[in-house]
Amino acid sequence: MPVVGAPVVEAIDLRRTYKTSTGSLKRKSLEVEAVRGVSFAIEKGELFGLLGPNGAGKTTTIKMLITLLIPTSGTARVLGLDVVKDARAVRSQIGYVFGGDRGLYERLSGLDNLRYFAELYGVEPHEQKRRIGELLEMVGLTGREKERVEGYSKGMRQRLHIARGLLHDPPVVFLDEPTIGVDPVGAREMRAMIASLTDQGKTVLLTTHYMFEADALCDRIAVIARGEVVAQGTPGALKSLVADKTVVEIEVYGVNDESIERLRRVEGVSAVSVEERDQLQLLMVQSAVGAEITPALLAQFDGAKIGRVVAREPTLEDAYISLVEGDS
Amino acid sequence: MTAGTAVLGAPRSSSLTSFFRVLFVGGIIVYRALFNWIRPAIYIPTMLGSPLFQILFFANLGKYSGVGDTNFFVVGNAVQVCSMSAIYGATMTLANERYFGTLAQLLATPANRAALFLGRTLPVIANGLLVSVFGFIVGALFLDFSMPASQIPALALVVTLTVVSCTGFGMMLGSIGIRARDVFFASNLAYFLMLLMCGVNIPIDSLPGWMQAISKALPLTHGIAAARLLASGETLGSVAGLIRTELLIGATYGFLAFALFRYFEASSRKYASLDRF
Repeated sequence: MPVVGAPVVEAIDLRRTYKTSTGSLKRKSLEVEAVRGVSFAIEKGELFGLLGPNGAGKTTTIKMLITLLIPTSGTARVLGLDVVKDARAVRSQIGYVFGGDRGLYERLSGLDNLRYFAELYGVEPHEQKRRIGELLEMVGLTGREKERVEGYSKGMRQRLHIARGLLHDPPVVFLDEPTIGVDPVGAREMRAMIASLTDQGKTVLLTTHYMFEADALCDRIAVIARGEVVAQGTPGALKSLVADKTVVEIEVYGVNDESIERLRRVEGVSAVSVEERDQLQLLMVQSAVGAEITPALLAQFDGAKIGRVVAREPTLEDAYISLVEGDS
Repeated sequence: MTAGTAVLGAPRSSSLTSFFRVLFVGGIIVYRALFNWIRPAIYIPTMLGSPLFQILFFANLGKYSGVGDTNFFVVGNAVQVCSMSAIYGATMTLANERYFGTLAQLLATPANRAALFLGRTLPVIANGLLVSVFGFIVGALFLDFSMPASQIPALALVVTLTVVSCTGFGMMLGSIGIRARDVFFASNLAYFLMLLMCGVNIPIDSLPGWMQAISKALPLTHGIAAARLLASGETLGSVAGLIRTELLIGATYGFLAFALFRYFEASSRKYASLDRF
């Protein structure tokens, strides 16, 4: 039975193990622990972010919450309903949006995709037309709804995914990397759309790789790494974890892996991350405030061409890097 | 505030209304989405062209070899060509959910699974029937196929039931396609297996014993036999046993198909098999 005042989404010590095998003749069984004891609670109307690198366990966690996977152990509840025992009831109360190109019927128009899912969610026939029109307007696909999805751009597909996830006006919405691969303008529009969901009273769980997105949208964030929640709190609270650090950004043209490894070993360095930017790599090196390490850093590049070097205050992204590298 | 209270939510249909809407409206929409040969440029050569030449080929081969009469080949092939839809079409309506990456979205909906499953069979049956009717028209126009006009309603009934039965078998392959990759290989195999073993062109009693045993467990076999008897003027009552057996075989495959669909759905949650492809 639902509990008064209980969180809308609740994960308690969720674990999920995958069994895989390798080899053709001599098959070898392997066990992979994708999620290792994840716990969090999301309150009504909250926009909660789940951040983590690829393979951290974000999608597996979301799949358990939306009933597509059974946890190996632990409990998860949505609106007080158990995701294993009350799977069908949970499904009717949630919307979910996966990022990426797939998951739509390519040969159908955007409108028919929505009509089909409206039927699957049991939306009343006379309500369907109004609701679909409203959602098409909201995601900016009005006028394009009769075109086949196979001709849609990535951004249009992603917007259609969002409309599909909201057809039955669910109180809880799960968004798994909804802006992935979408161009900057489209992604900005999508973020505005996501922000508006909590204004409508919905509770949202969002996974994303983009820190600025999480910083701008989320009320609270859980950082997940290697299948475990390594930190949880408001964006401000997470940033404060690296308040005693400074970040040196170095633009390098053609840096190799050995140089990066050497950087990690420089005394005072607590974390290093690399961002590929066309011809150059942007290195972000974290160290304690006041540590004069820039000359030592610049000495590690084996003659690679160095561009701009800037020291700055840490951001949420730096806090994230520090957390997932296990140095915070 | 009670956590379990859904404060939002679009008005929902009653369970019964939703069941029938998923069955009929949903079935047609999703068939258009998943049936690969729906465009006329592909439909005509595949669903009508292939059966046309199959019927012409076997009827002329029989005439040239001096075995059997034209009616034997026309009825056998005109009924068997329904499997273009009942085998391939049925496989597509389920297995393509996985190929197109829509299976996870589908399984995360609360839709009634029986409605979702059965709704896919209706357009497959209608299409199979259309192809078979086309086969009989080809026989009448090009091969001097003839039968008493009074037998047409009974023949239509038997052909419809045979298409339904064959669709049960096709849905079983489709359900396997939810879990296994390359299931269309099995569909090809099934199509030609039926051509060989169901008495389409070779009388069952001319087949080796082991093939006869398999043929008795396949759809089409009893339906084709009943259709031939009706075309030769026998009454519906005299083929009732054959019709019952055909339906029993089809229903068995149909139930097995749904059981497999539900099993693979459940196992996908347990073993994460949706993600393996």
